[in-house]
Amino acid sequence: MSDQTRRAFVKRSAGAAVGATVIGALVAGEADATPAEPVVAYVHHDRVSVMAGEREVTIRDRKLAARIARAAK
Amino acid sequence: MSSHREAPAISKDPVADNTDTYAFVSPDDPSTVTIISNYLPLEAPFGGPNFFEFGDDVRYEIHIDNDADGAPEITYELLFQTKVRNPDTFLYNTGPIDSIDSPNWNRRQFYTVTRVKNGHRKVLATGLACPPCNIGPGSTPQYAKLAAQAVHKIAGGHTVFAGQRLEGFYVDLGAIFDLGDLRPFQNLHLGGMAAAHAVNATHDFSVHTIALKIPKHELTRDGSKPTDPMAGKSVIGVWTAASRRRAAVRHAGSGAVHEAGPWVQVSRLGNPLFNEVIVPLGDKDRWNALPAQADAQFLHYVLHPELAGLLPVLYPGVFPNLAKLTAPRADLAAILMTGIPAGVVPGFQNFTGANPADQLRLNMAIPPARRGAAKPLGLVGGDPAGFPNGRRVFDDVVTVELRAIAGATYPLVNKSYTPDAAASLVTDGLGPGATRYLPHFPYLGTPKSGYEVTPLAA
Repeated sequence: MSDQTRRAFVKRSAGAAVGATVIGALVAGEADATPAEPVVAYVHHDRVSVMAGEREVTIRDRKLAARIARAAK
Repeated sequence: MSSHREAPAISKDPVADNTDTYAFVSPDDPSTVTIISNYLPLEAPFGGPNFFEFGDDVRYEIHIDNDADGAPEITYELLFQTKVRNPDTFLYNTGPIDSIDSPNWNRRQFYTVTRVKNGHRKVLATGLACPPCNIGPGSTPQYAKLAAQAVHKIAGGHTVFAGQRLEGFYVDLGAIFDLGDLRPFQNLHLGGMAAAHAVNATHDFSVHTIALKIPKHELTRDGSKPTDPMAGKSVIGVWTAASRRRAAVRHAGSGAVHEAGPWVQVSRLGNPLFNEVIVPLGDKDRWNALPAQADAQFLHYVLHPELAGLLPVLYPGVFPNLAKLTAPRADLAAILMTGIPAGVVPGFQNFTGANPADQLRLNMAIPPARRGAAKPLGLVGGDPAGFPNGRRVFDDVVTVELRAIAGATYPLVNKSYTPDAAASLVTDGLGPGATRYLPHFPYLGTPKSGYEVTPLAA
């Protein structure tokens, strides 16, 4: 998966997930907007941590975690 | 060493490796306290062409606990930014650097100091210049004067310096790391070699120093000026640390790194040698990652220090009483983890409550020793202005801690115990004459230039 596609996937996933509100705040408001700054996502078990700037938001979302894990294969 | 390369993970990350922490009432300005935090262990003075500098990707922290809860009420944060005038040369400098703003200095560093006090953040200063490293007479002539230009007076009566300094910590590493050998006593060691003079392993090496002079009233919990040594509010706990961002993504092909997330602690230091000698290998990296207020889980390492068990083995017949001492070492817990309560040493206390935490505990109401009267053995040498009442740059912490672990301080908590005769004699054989200091801020000496030293000619 290219970097561009990976970013788009994380962006879409964040918009669709239960934690869209908090993650959306991290990726500059609009769920489908291009993040103003790079966003790093860390997935461990069913937890998805999204980091931008000095902020970090962690949500528990088994489906989102699984989708991201599948994308990384 | 005190805390140089003391844990597996941080030994691979020198710019974040917190090597020594000092806290003392400024001898030439006793209304203030100076806190010094060193990083980048064992800088060889000739280590160019990319000479040593702070990490732009590291947050350097000085923590102060002034209400005995083990957590910081005041934190000073320093963030650095490197600026390159001319990226089209490999040179650190393109001519003599005769002033802190010399156009000949190509790779410069600046920093911001932020204070977080009781949850309120305030930028005290920004754009402060570091000095260059001491390169040699052609590049950095009159280095002492040049470095003095990097001493900055900033908001709130603070004075700050951040840059290269001569290593102030002295220790015979070559011997000590060779199965606990102490050269003056190695005739008594298992190895059986003839006694010899000590060698200062840090001779001529440098470190990168953050020195901050702070008015005492900025440090007390109620803003008062401490005058009563027996008052709890006269005591502060001090430790320093370094943090990195939680995530880093390296971009293939460009060398660029994107960092994100909150700051995560990777190194810390209160008492010298704590993580190095007290904490075992399997816990050292975790210890560096934890806050001081989590140190209760390491208390058993203090109460039953591994080194106390090794000394009678390494020096057969020299420590018979220590060999039989199996009770928890409450003396070491007081020195390292809680401070010394009132009633143990007449007229002195630096107790911060029962919460065990590795902090340098400084009783700010104890005045500095008169000039020329300071004793490198500090409190155990009859000088309450020195370690473990805080730590001065010249304090002989290796000897103090060796003797304490050997049982010399155990009678403070159990008067029926008789220390071995060797407990009050043991030393690695070095003293503050092994290096040089300044009588004024930032107190650590002028670093040697690469030009003037002969590698490892101790």
